Amino acid sequence: MSSAERKILGGSFLMAMISVGLAVMVLSADDQNLKWDGSRVSPVHRIPLKDELNQEIIPTESYPLPFSARYTCAPCHVYEQVCQGLHFNATNSGRPAGRPGEPWIWADEKTGTMLPLSYRQWKGIWDPGDVGLTAWDFTLLFGTKLTGGGVAEPADKDVTPDSRWNVSGKLEINCLGCHNASRLQDPSEWAKQVLRQNFRWAATAAAGLGEVGGMASRLAATWDLFDGPNPDDKEWAIAPSVRYDPALFDSKHNAFLDIAYKPEDSRCLACHSVAPLGAKKHEFDGDVHTASGLLCVDCHRNGIGHDMVRGYEGESKDYGKAENEAFTCAGCHLGKEAVKGGRGFSGRLGAPFPKHNGFPMIHFERLSCTVCHSGPLPAKEPARVRTSRANRLGIFGIARWATDTPAIVEPVYIRGADKKLAPHRMMWPSYWAEMKNGKLVPLKPNRVLAAAGETLNAAESIARILISLFNIPDLGGTPVLVMAGRVYELNLDGVLDVSEYPGPVPADDLLWAVRKENKILPLLPFDPDAQEPNPDTLAQLERVLLALGAMPGAPGEPVLLYKNALYRIANGQLEKRENPVSSETLKLAWLIAGKAEPLFPDIARRAVLTLTGTDQTLTEEQVGTVLRALGKDHVYVSSGRVFGLSKKGKLEARNDPAAAPVSWPLAHDVRPARMALGTNGCTDCHSAGSRLLFGRVKGYGPLKTSQVEIRSLHSFMGLGKPYHVFFGLSFAVRPLLKVVLAAASLVIGALLLIAVLLAIGRASGLIEKRR
Amino acid sequence: MLFIIITVLAVLGLASTLTFFRFLSGKPAVDKRNLFALAGAHGEWLGGWIRTFFEPGFLIKVRAFYRTWVGQAYPGWRQWIFAALVVSFGYCAASGFFFALFVPGGMFGIPLLCHVMAGGLFALSLAASLILRAGAFRPGADDPKPEKCDFYPPLKDLTKKEILTTLFWMSAAAGLCLIVTALASMLSYFHYRAQMPLLDFHRYGALVDLLLVMIYLDLGVFPRRG
Repeated sequence: MSSAERKILGGSFLMAMISVGLAVMVLSADDQNLKWDGSRVSPVHRIPLKDELNQEIIPTESYPLPFSARYTCAPCHVYEQVCQGLHFNATNSGRPAGRPGEPWIWADEKTGTMLPLSYRQWKGIWDPGDVGLTAWDFTLLFGTKLTGGGVAEPADKDVTPDSRWNVSGKLEINCLGCHNASRLQDPSEWAKQVLRQNFRWAATAAAGLGEVGGMASRLAATWDLFDGPNPDDKEWAIAPSVRYDPALFDSKHNAFLDIAYKPEDSRCLACHSVAPLGAKKHEFDGDVHTASGLLCVDCHRNGIGHDMVRGYEGESKDYGKAENEAFTCAGCHLGKEAVKGGRGFSGRLGAPFPKHNGFPMIHFERLSCTVCHSGPLPAKEPARVRTSRANRLGIFGIARWATDTPAIVEPVYIRGADKKLAPHRMMWPSYWAEMKNGKLVPLKPNRVLAAAGETLNAAESIARILISLFNIPDLGGTPVLVMAGRVYELNLDGVLDVSEYPGPVPADDLLWAVRKENKILPLLPFDPDAQEPNPDTLAQLERVLLALGAMPGAPGEPVLLYKNALYRIANGQLEKRENPVSSETLKLAWLIAGKAEPLFPDIARRAVLTLTGTDQTLTEEQVGTVLRALGKDHVYVSSGRVFGLSKKGKLEARNDPAAAPVSWPLAHDVRPARMALGTNGCTDCHSAGSRLLFGRVKGYGPLKTSQVEIRSLHSFMGLGKPYHVFFGLSFAVRPLLKVVLAAASLVIGALLLIAVLLAIGRASGLIEKRR
Repeated sequence: MLFIIITVLAVLGLASTLTFFRFLSGKPAVDKRNLFALAGAHGEWLGGWIRTFFEPGFLIKVRAFYRTWVGQAYPGWRQWIFAALVVSFGYCAASGFFFALFVPGGMFGIPLLCHVMAGGLFALSLAASLILRAGAFRPGADDPKPEKCDFYPPLKDLTKKEILTTLFWMSAAAGLCLIVTALASMLSYFHYRAQMPLLDFHRYGALVDLLLVMIYLDLGVFPRRG
């Protein structure tokens, strides 16, 4: 071996040793990170904040970057390990999906799309990738309720060309979203920052560490963090920046973070709240475990890997973690079974031991605990509920964020993988779809909108006109539309609110008006008896036509048709012409190619009239029109039915598995034991009209139609109705059966006693002696 | 599983024993010291006996025998009580043992509903039968025609009356066990963990009752040819 070869070998060996040494150091550091020293006290977190470049943040310098959890928390907590946690690992294909959970619901009211999505492979749920959503799209859609990390923090190799991660930054795991005990932690601020695409700033703003201004969504796609603020634009495309709260930092620029080892419930409930639709907050009881002082994380616990205990029966098998069984209902309330004659212990965390007196064992073999103990009591129809994630609850601001749709109902009792019945939440998916290779593939809403033109803009077409009427100088009130005895008015969100017309309904079917001090006055007060309109009215008309003409995207020239006159603006002045078609009522219209068209299309008028007072957003007429525009092989799914066009071009509904409802088990809120089913006896569930068995589930979707799927609850359980009606009826005579059995027992017992006494008497000779 | 094993062994064992004694009581011409010959002859006899069930006129004979036997023990309207007892016990035993032996999940659905209803009828008819027949089976009552049970070698020192009286009251006790355990499982006084022992008592009570009825039928009801 030459000396050169020896040197190369020696160098390689040295490098290998150094590598091994470094690996050992890293691993041992990780081990240290994982080890608990035994103290039950959480350390005070007065620590330096670090930005995404792993540089310490000096809050007083100009344009400091937002803090990065990846680097700020890293010295003590291994970020990569946290990434494997339940809240961040949905895209980790190696992990079992486990029991179905609440999907993300892609809700687009205008197109009537309510599509359940999840990266976890649950039955009936669409994979976001399969419906054309990239990680960027997904984060934009659901980032307001995402915990960060996972799909919202894609690796550089997974970044798609349509995304703007370089502008927004990635949405890192929001550690403080759960662990910040400060009252300043604000999920609404997180949502706002995410909607502004200020992803890398969201955690800083939400934690109250500083004030974040600017909107990444308005910046050019080429903007980069190193570009810094734009000195030329201080009005619109303002680059996001943070101004830290100096009171939170000490002289060494260490920030005080009020970290809670166990997050309080409100942190969980920011994304996991569920409440009955229309319930009043002060009437709402919540979960009995919460009432007795437990935190969510007392049962749903995790280590540094953040692989949280979900707490359902069978979880230990799904995830291969036997220890998780201890945190099921049975785990705490029943405890471990006694082993080999030893004594088992129950009552973990003070859980009372359930006696279940008089309950046949079959209940425990075929029902999960939650059937009797969780969710609302069964009613004629399952209750509508809203969830944080589906219905955007808990985002507070001037605008109203929460929605009533998607319509989610509970409880619906369905068998799980363990064959036990469990109460579920349920929603009926609705989406536009194209038939491809015999399968329905959902369409993205923007494709539907592109094909639909103005068909789906019913309310918006009226709202646009009302908005333009707001621009009339000296209007002195709020412009409204009076239509079919109802008053349509814009609310703060630019959405139409509807109210009944006060007083006698005006003769005109459609009247543009102004609400002044609770009075509704015509926008154009023409006197029908006057030969000529008075000058004030004409001046008002001029202002109205000018305002309408200035409407963005106005389809034509605004005109007023009245009797034999046609009023228009010519050269900035009101001009009166002869109306070729006489109109007895005032008609504001668009003059398009010499033809007067209504201010908004008739289909919009019919849609608004049909849908007013409902939370549905589509009429059958609209669906038919859009399906014709989309072309053949397209359908719309809603309310458990698939709607398509017949050969004659008429809308028809059919049953299809693709329209089946989607459900996921519910575990909370748990009611107190005395409010469990069965407390009042067997007839809580077993009767001819049992609500638990025969409650009615009605398909519900954005389409207002009478063609909806209606099913009885027993059909979801796989039970036969005639038997259970008969079985329920048998409970009416069960008290009599008990009396019969008791009486028979007494008679037989008494006779047996006499027989035994006689036998003893005879055997002992007592009877003979007496004779 | 234990119950299944015990039931199969007990029922088959008792049936073999009873038929064997019945076979022996016919004084068969076979070498009793040769076990194989004895077993072969017993099997042959058993086959012939079973074949008689399928002979023409068997049902007519059974009906005639039933009328005679029931007519003596339960004259007039009382026969309906006995019929109710036979039908309810027959259904309960058939459905109960079938599901216990062959259906892992146990009894459910319509058979369970009918089992419960038949159980009520069984309780009533058993109580009524006891009232009617307790006098005839009074323990220690004089037996004017004592008949030794020499065809039951283990019990050859007892009279037939003594054995039947014992069987009668033991089956009543087993019936009481069945009724009480069924009733107790319906009452809300017992912890759900008590349901399993109650069910076990119910099942083993039923097995004991079935075995007692088999002996009673063999000894007290079906005539012996020999």
